[in-house]
Amino acid sequence: MLRACQLSKAFGGLSVLQDVSIDFHPGEVHALMGENGAGKSTLMKMLAGVYAPDGGSVAWRGQPVRFRTPNDALSQGIAMVHQELMPIPDLSVGENLLLGMEPTNAFGWVDQAALHTQASAWLQQLDTDLDTRRPMRSLSVAQMQVVEIAKALARQADVLLMDEPTAALSDHEVTALFKAITTLRQRGVAVVYTTHKMDEVFRLADRISVLRDGRLVCTKAALEFSADSLIAHMVGRELAQIFPPVTTTPGETVLAVEQLTREPAYRNISFTLRRGEVLGLAGLMGAGRTEVVSALYGLQPAASGTIRLRGQTLDLRSPIDGLAAGLAMVTEDRKGSGIVPAMSVQHNLTLAALRQFCRGAVIDATAESSTTHKATGDFAIKASGPGQAINQLSGGNQQKVLLARALLTAPAVLILDEPTRGIDIGAKAEIYALIGRLSAQGTAVLLVSSELPEILSLTHRILVLRQGELSAELAPRQTNQEEILRHAMPR
Amino acid sequence: MRLTPRTTAGTFGLACALLATGLSVGCKKAETRKPGEWLVGYSSRDQSAEYTARLGDAVQARAKERGVKLVFVDAQADAQKQISQTENFISQKVDVIILNPCEVEASSPAIDRARAAKIPVVNVNSLTKAAPDCYVGSDDEQAGILAMEAIAKQLNGQGNVLMIHGIMGQSAQIHRDAGARKVLAKYPGLKLLDHQTASWDRAKALALTENWLQAHKGKFQAIFAHNDEMAMGALLALERAGVKKDVYVIGVDAIAQALDAVKAGRLDATVFQDAVGQGRGAIDTAILMAAKQPYEKEVMIPFQVVTRENVDQFLKK
Amino acid sequence: MTATTSPALDRNLLHRLGIVAVLFVIAGLLSVLTDSFATASNLTNVARQVSINGILAVGVTFVLLTGGVDLSLGSVVALSGVACALFAHPGEYPLFVPICVGLLTGGLCGLLNGVLVTRGGIAPFIVTLGMMTVARGLALIFSGGKPVADMSPDLTGLAGDLGPVPIPLICFAAVAVLSWLFLGRFRLGRHLYAVGGNEQAARAAGVSVPKVKLFAYGLCGLLTGLAGVVLAARITTGQPNAGQAYELDAIAAVVIGGTSLSGGVGSVLGTVLGVLLIGVINNGLDLLSVSSYYQAVIKGVIIVGAVWLDRRQARS
Repeated sequence: MLRACQLSKAFGGLSVLQDVSIDFHPGEVHALMGENGAGKSTLMKMLAGVYAPDGGSVAWRGQPVRFRTPNDALSQGIAMVHQELMPIPDLSVGENLLLGMEPTNAFGWVDQAALHTQASAWLQQLDTDLDTRRPMRSLSVAQMQVVEIAKALARQADVLLMDEPTAALSDHEVTALFKAITTLRQRGVAVVYTTHKMDEVFRLADRISVLRDGRLVCTKAALEFSADSLIAHMVGRELAQIFPPVTTTPGETVLAVEQLTREPAYRNISFTLRRGEVLGLAGLMGAGRTEVVSALYGLQPAASGTIRLRGQTLDLRSPIDGLAAGLAMVTEDRKGSGIVPAMSVQHNLTLAALRQFCRGAVIDATAESSTTHKATGDFAIKASGPGQAINQLSGGNQQKVLLARALLTAPAVLILDEPTRGIDIGAKAEIYALIGRLSAQGTAVLLVSSELPEILSLTHRILVLRQGELSAELAPRQTNQEEILRHAMPR
Repeated sequence: MRLTPRTTAGTFGLACALLATGLSVGCKKAETRKPGEWLVGYSSRDQSAEYTARLGDAVQARAKERGVKLVFVDAQADAQKQISQTENFISQKVDVIILNPCEVEASSPAIDRARAAKIPVVNVNSLTKAAPDCYVGSDDEQAGILAMEAIAKQLNGQGNVLMIHGIMGQSAQIHRDAGARKVLAKYPGLKLLDHQTASWDRAKALALTENWLQAHKGKFQAIFAHNDEMAMGALLALERAGVKKDVYVIGVDAIAQALDAVKAGRLDATVFQDAVGQGRGAIDTAILMAAKQPYEKEVMIPFQVVTRENVDQFLKK
Repeated sequence: MTATTSPALDRNLLHRLGIVAVLFVIAGLLSVLTDSFATASNLTNVARQVSINGILAVGVTFVLLTGGVDLSLGSVVALSGVACALFAHPGEYPLFVPICVGLLTGGLCGLLNGVLVTRGGIAPFIVTLGMMTVARGLALIFSGGKPVADMSPDLTGLAGDLGPVPIPLICFAAVAVLSWLFLGRFRLGRHLYAVGGNEQAARAAGVSVPKVKLFAYGLCGLLTGLAGVVLAARITTGQPNAGQAYELDAIAAVVIGGTSLSGGVGSVLGTVLGVLLIGVINNGLDLLSVSSYYQAVIKGVIIVGAVWLDRRQARS
């Protein structure tokens, strides 16, 4: 039905996609797999009319077509859910969802009641209950992603392209999405899907195409792959194992949290964190995990409760206090509160620890450069140079810069909020190895993650948060995904 | 202060009370003048401009002298505002309105409104398209003529002149320009080499003259600036370049600084605009109108050229 | 990998080629159209004339970099000039007094702007709009509505020349160089870019956002005060009505030079180029005796054209 014929694309002289030909059949779920920078997003964008191919063509129902704008593709029945969320913050959820398809009355005015009824109906298909009259900006990242998906569903397209649709979603929402995709598949819709989550691919995909460095490696039925062989195709080499073994033994208590409360987000949170320990924080979207760890860093101070680092009670009113005390954090929203987009890689990297490179108030350019050089090597950050603008880097590399930034401050406690969201398997492995190294060096790590495999494999202990309260403390090697979910689901 | 229902209600109530008080006081005001005491409304074009401020002071002084109750407002160079102020005067039931108009066209509706309400109007200092009952002022064309004649005399009818305009389209600019050109037409040996606006602004005139000293180096012998602020700017440029002795500079208004400069021999001359005379004339005519006595339709206060010889008498004013 | 040059600087130079090209084209045209343009004395004049706008433009660059704006520049110039002139009567105070009074007046206005933006949480547009009218009113009050004259020649001499170089140009150059060094080399300068680029991210990285903004507005005010002192020296009076619409020319210069109105992107080099472009256009139009009606149109067309060319070139 939809065919890519020898598609090629280059940006500024850099070839991103070369000679890729894939067939997409109706009623099938076709997964595009590959590391970041492999060309998956670019391919999908050409199919959706966002980019024009430099070479090759797109064939739709047997005829070559040239989409000049995404609207052209939409009108033909090809819809896309982008990886980069682009909500309109000041319009309501319903208005965002049905943008361009608003129901009108006889005069041509928007029928508000019908709009919200329809929008709610689409959200129900994804098992999500949101007040569609809320302003879009009040939603969390995960909620916005659900709305984005519902928006594509509402288009009732024949081909649905989805670029990392589950990056921000927790298992509950993912299940609902899969149910919706299965229904679409039964209706004969072709679904093209990219993700970095291995288990999803095997749950959903009928066929898998692997891209590497802009070229098609192979297209085979999903059954013909195993997890290892798939990774091997993507990365071009065998990855011994993704998760490093947890070998360190935690030392004395370094962080003690007592009765931390900020209504209505969370209440009476108490736990300890030991030297070299990796503590996992699991829970559903909206359970309050980000809010709790933000309080520990000073990003969003708690209303009451005590935080003690190495015995000293801390008064954390801003990240400045957090950093000074020896805490560092990588936030979950790298675009919103992580990177400074127009600034260079070097400047982003040294931003939190700038004082270390200063003689008084003046920056020592040599010291800064050499540190950046070392960090770029240590973290395998792929950029054309330290002066490249960070918004040109892939998501994975941006995340590595943010990690390096946090670690430059030599924290005693590192807080990671969804550190591997939207990152390819190669980069994920590097980050997991890093967490292991940090733990061995004595840094305590607080890991918030919605990817249960991560939580189960990397941590010494797991805390489960349910609707703002601690519901369980589990030993990772003695529990499983079902048990965690059981403690996380609302009663 | 938190916006609770109680505070909202309280604030609203307070506001209503204030409004009621204001209304009652305002209504009373219209009747608190004594018999024989006239109520006159005056709208000044722009109190932040020096000459206009002088005119306003003169109007107020004369009103006090003659026992007239004056409502004094500043239109701040905004014709819209001036029209609103006139409407306010009408609802305050003034006896006469004196208008120092912002613009020829745009301030005309103010006159029309006053006419419709049958309140007599005096225009002072500037003209409008709509005809008032009386015009008290000076003929800006005369200012232009006097200035250019002084230049002609100085240059013996031969030479190149530069002219610096005020804001284009304002009554003063239009008429001073016209007057100057009338004189230029009389003297075939006098040529207008270049002209440009500096919008009544000293700094702009300074920069303009600096640029002219480049473009027309050594080729001009006189500068006529439509007002003293700009003349002072031109003066500074010439002095800095060390060529002042070759150029005759004359402005209009006779502001304090200009008079000092004339006395010190820096500025060659200026044209005195009699603010006191205009202000006095306006109030006196207004009183005649209010008392329904005969009055002159036009009261022209003459301009006077101020040079080093006669500057002392103007310094005293 | 070079360890000495800042990566951001190289990028800026390359991106500003668009404006530089336009500047050279216009200068070339003017040299041909009139022989008074390309003379030493005219170019010195241009340098002198752009100095005041230049100081203002560099000052407001700091504010624009943080994503804010300052509409009060012209009024604060007038207020500072009046304040300076009031203390500049011959024989009353030593020279540094009126200069400091002018600088402090500007600085205080800037700080007040900054406090209202950071503590009060009011949008910079509104705050500086208010300051625009308040400062103008104060200027009229302190001066009694009339220009404050009788300034000592020592002070007005500040608008003169030091050898072949106009002193206002020296001031502008000093301000530009110091600002360029500050933004490129100082920690606080780096923080400015971070706050403008992504305020949330800057905060999360431990930057004190209120402190940075307060600094930007305060410095802008201080430099506006300096511009006010230079202007008063140049026209030998403290003019309460001076500086009308100066903020427009200043902000236009900054934006032409590549600073983004949403913050985080920009440079002093770009601002200087923008200032020069506007100055050359103004000067050229006067030299060519172009009527003031046409001047406005031509200036607008050239400015939009220059920016369009520049942005196109930067994107490739």
